[in-house]
Amino acid sequence: MTIETFAFWMIAVYTLGAAYFVVTARNLFRCAVGLAATLIGIAGLYLLMDAQFLSAVQIAVYVGGVVVLVVFAILMVADVTQKEFLRSPLSRCLIASVVAELLLLIVCGAMLSQGFGTARPPQAAAQVGEIGRALLNTGPGGFVLPFEVISLVLVAALVGAITVAGKPGDDFEERGED
Amino acid sequence: MHPGLEHYLVLSALIFCFGVYGLLTRRNLVAMLLCVELVLNAAALNFVAFHRFLFRGDPAGAVFPILIIAVAAAEAAVALAIVIALFRHRRNLDARAADTLHG
Repeated sequence: MTIETFAFWMIAVYTLGAAYFVVTARNLFRCAVGLAATLIGIAGLYLLMDAQFLSAVQIAVYVGGVVVLVVFAILMVADVTQKEFLRSPLSRCLIASVVAELLLLIVCGAMLSQGFGTARPPQAAAQVGEIGRALLNTGPGGFVLPFEVISLVLVAALVGAITVAGKPGDDFEERGED
Repeated sequence: MHPGLEHYLVLSALIFCFGVYGLLTRRNLVAMLLCVELVLNAAALNFVAFHRFLFRGDPAGAVFPILIIAVAAAEAAVALAIVIALFRHRRNLDARAADTLHG
């Protein structure tokens, strides 16, 4: 058993446990902490797969950005001292678990029966420079269009978020009338 | 057993199904958002696994997770803004209570 195998199984068990915690914890704040733990586990899996840059992005943007945003929102809107929040009836949980298990069977069956073949001749995994060149490449196989579209989406989402969550008496129309 | 492509695919399928289960059972809007993040991460994990084990020379497998992370950040910002606006109106976050379009 190599150290890589051992690390994979440890991280896999840790990530699955944290993901289970996210969907079952009764306290919203604990859910958010569980999500942060899951994302760190997935960043560890990226590291195991030679994707150092993605791992760093995952930690910086997800754990440092999205989870912190979620925690802020939870502190603003929810009473974290309450032990429980609304839970679904047992029948709904049973139906949901059956649906999720069927989905798991279908997805695993489809992927494992596929036979993806063995690995290609070993090449280095894409590093930062290669990813950057691919993102700004305008030729075939380049990703400059998705890159520009995602920038637009981000700007639109941030402006929209400010507009939607801004205080009702503080919107742009009233400011224009002053 | 040495971890291969199938191990990562099954792991990501498990995380995906946890997310789907949470989406179906949770009634709190913020908790549902956290489950969506699980689903998105399972998809990104698949991209990286295929990149690592089958298409090492092709940077597409490393670019798409970055796009997924950006979309997830935008989605979280908009969803949390809606949650805050909804909370101002209704004083709770129950997904079943928020079933009308007019304020």
